[in-house]
Amino acid sequence: MKRLALGGAVGAAFILCWVGAGVEPSSLLDPANLRAVAAFVRGLFPPDLSPEFLRVAAGATVRTLAISIAGTALSAILGLCLGILATASLWRRGPLLDGRAAGPLALLSLAARGVARFLRSVPDLVWALLFVVAFGLGPLPGTLALAVSYAGVLGRVYADLFEAVPEAPVVALHAAGASPLQTFVAAIWPQAAGSVAAYTLYSFECCVRSAAVLGFVGAGGIGAEITVSMRLFEYGQLTTLLGALVVLVLCVDAFSRAWRGRFRRNAVHGSGVLQDPLELRPMRRGFGFFWAVVAVVAFADAGFGSLLAPDVLAHVARFASQLFPPDLSPSFLASILTPLWQTVAISVVGSVLGVLLGAALAVPATASIMFDPEARLRPLRALAYAVARATLALLRSIPELVWVLLCILAVGLGPFAGVLALGLHTAGVLGKLYAETLEEVPIGGPEELRAIGAHALQRLIWAAWPQARETLASYTLLRWENNLRVSTVVGLAGGGGLGLALYNAVQLGFYDRASTLVVVMFLLVSVTDALADRLRRKPAAQRAPESGMALVAEAG
Amino acid sequence: MSFELQGVGLVYPSRTGSVQALHGVSLRIRRGERVAILGASGAGKSTLLRILNATLRPSAGSVRIDGRDASGLRGGDLRRLRRGIGTVFQNPSLVSPLTALQNALCGRIASWSLARSVRVLVAPPDDEVSVALSALATVGLADRAAARIDELSGGQQQRVALARVLVQDPPVVLADEPFASLDPGLTGQLADLLLRVCEGRTLVALLHDVGLALERFPRIVGLRAGQVLFDLPAGEVTAVRLKELYGGVG
Repeated sequence: MKRLALGGAVGAAFILCWVGAGVEPSSLLDPANLRAVAAFVRGLFPPDLSPEFLRVAAGATVRTLAISIAGTALSAILGLCLGILATASLWRRGPLLDGRAAGPLALLSLAARGVARFLRSVPDLVWALLFVVAFGLGPLPGTLALAVSYAGVLGRVYADLFEAVPEAPVVALHAAGASPLQTFVAAIWPQAAGSVAAYTLYSFECCVRSAAVLGFVGAGGIGAEITVSMRLFEYGQLTTLLGALVVLVLCVDAFSRAWRGRFRRNAVHGSGVLQDPLELRPMRRGFGFFWAVVAVVAFADAGFGSLLAPDVLAHVARFASQLFPPDLSPSFLASILTPLWQTVAISVVGSVLGVLLGAALAVPATASIMFDPEARLRPLRALAYAVARATLALLRSIPELVWVLLCILAVGLGPFAGVLALGLHTAGVLGKLYAETLEEVPIGGPEELRAIGAHALQRLIWAAWPQARETLASYTLLRWENNLRVSTVVGLAGGGGLGLALYNAVQLGFYDRASTLVVVMFLLVSVTDALADRLRRKPAAQRAPESGMALVAEAG
Repeated sequence: MSFELQGVGLVYPSRTGSVQALHGVSLRIRRGERVAILGASGAGKSTLLRILNATLRPSAGSVRIDGRDASGLRGGDLRRLRRGIGTVFQNPSLVSPLTALQNALCGRIASWSLARSVRVLVAPPDDEVSVALSALATVGLADRAAARIDELSGGQQQRVALARVLVQDPPVVLADEPFASLDPGLTGQLADLLLRVCEGRTLVALLHDVGLALERFPRIVGLRAGQVLFDLPAGEVTAVRLKELYGGVG
């Protein structure tokens, strides 16, 4: 009875979301839309490979990389400061406090935690939009947006890692008279450094993906070129740019996989979520110099030169002052309700679409199911595997916001385009995570089932599913949280919801309304984070931090 | 350095009421003394130790270390006090990704500035290194200075912990069951080493090996249920006393 009521409530909520997200499957079959899609697909070929445009595309790609390197570097520095401050075992509880009540430092530590939460709860694209108004068009606001938003992510991850190190050495140095920061330097950092490096690398992957779309709001990089080509209906250029983007993402993935190869062994379910602390090997000499050059070039290309121009800071200050006080008039707040509901609906329906599509693709993409030496039709199975994997790779390597642009062609402006975009990208990410999780399931169970004659799908249902269930659910929930964040910004590309309202407010110069909307987005994201935290079971002591898992799910 | 505990009590708050870990403990430990503290697990030995090295404040009574009231100290003063108290823990409390040498160097951390502690870890200056190396030589690990902690055996790790105390060079050493996690064969060896390292220093050791305590420590304090049951010269500790200490509950 209770189950029935719960099921009914979930069903009703989903129907409400379905309505709120403006889902109209019929619009997919509308002849006018079909013609637009056909024209678009025809326009994609041949790609524009003229030397001038290739130069443009290459420049934009390099700049995107520069933005993400500079953004990652800044976010790691900022995140380290926030992380140290937010580490509870240094300032708020545990043996380092000598049994005293927490003092002012504990308040500072809580404040750092709050700042990190705020920075990561406001989507990077929103930061970029605000920084574009503050600093002007170009790569600089994009870099700063990445720096700020990933500082929030890394601050939390770092703090979790610092807190998870074995306590005995920390207590020992404390007893020998070391200050909290000294125990950090001598006991916490050496134990956490390897994991810090690993998660920072994941964050770099995320930054590259994010950097590709920051251009949609005028923050430079490859996204800016994509917007221009779309507006000019130069779909041939779009093919080139998307190709360049996919190549960039794949190269970065390969690079970080090569680096991460060392600690893959340590990962949970092949996901890259680290089980144990890692060690950091010292860098070879010469590498330091190499990275210094990379950093300087990246910062220069990311537009940090423009900070030197006169009036920049005065302009920023003027803009910042216009954000306050936020517009809290009842009429404006009432007008937010519809887009707010739309945003939640987009995230829910889009995630459900992604789960269904992703799960359907994950089964043929699971090597341990498809490559069964005893099965018939083996070449056909191999083909299905290859197609499924390639589809997943394509779906996830095109960012949500680019999918929005493409879906607008198919169904017109509005929330349904956002739903489709979220669904397609999520399918790519979740499908890969699902498949990898299923592949990593300990095969003891399935082996025994094989011995009694169960075929692949039966083994999947009876053995793999019960073992993988929790990890799968965990990834799905994390992805939905991520999607909620994204659905607040799909409007910036024409996908409806709060993003559209924010875009309008900024374009019209109502900065006080913009700051209200940013706060609303923050509240929405933090409330759902808190809800999701309650839904999750408390992680076991030996598990990787949840924040790290979120980062991995985001890196896809 | 001397300790003077007067009516020390400690109450841990807990969800089901509160736990009285220590109750009316009065002790005086003079400079250069060697004291072994015996007692069943849960008798409050570790709590007493944490009160002696001022990482825990008593909820009743007073603690005077070298004549100064320790409960009034905070921040830098407290850290300076602790600099003079070395502690050897039950499980080697070393930073495992670092080398034996780096761990030994950490003994002096409280006398460095933050900047210097970073520098010593990255590129230790020669004078610090020579102190740490001679300490490692004393504990018989000169040839393992560059080895990482996780490459060392349990006994070797406990030696590094002793080297760290030597580098710290404190007038007082507190030892919290320092041999509990070692093979019985190693215990005697390391006990000798501990006593040698503590030559000329005050030593307070929590032990669960009664034989070892009676053999090598002139003064024995028996702790039961958070109270001092006896405080006697080793020669006067009888089997009856020990039975009382470990046997009856409550």
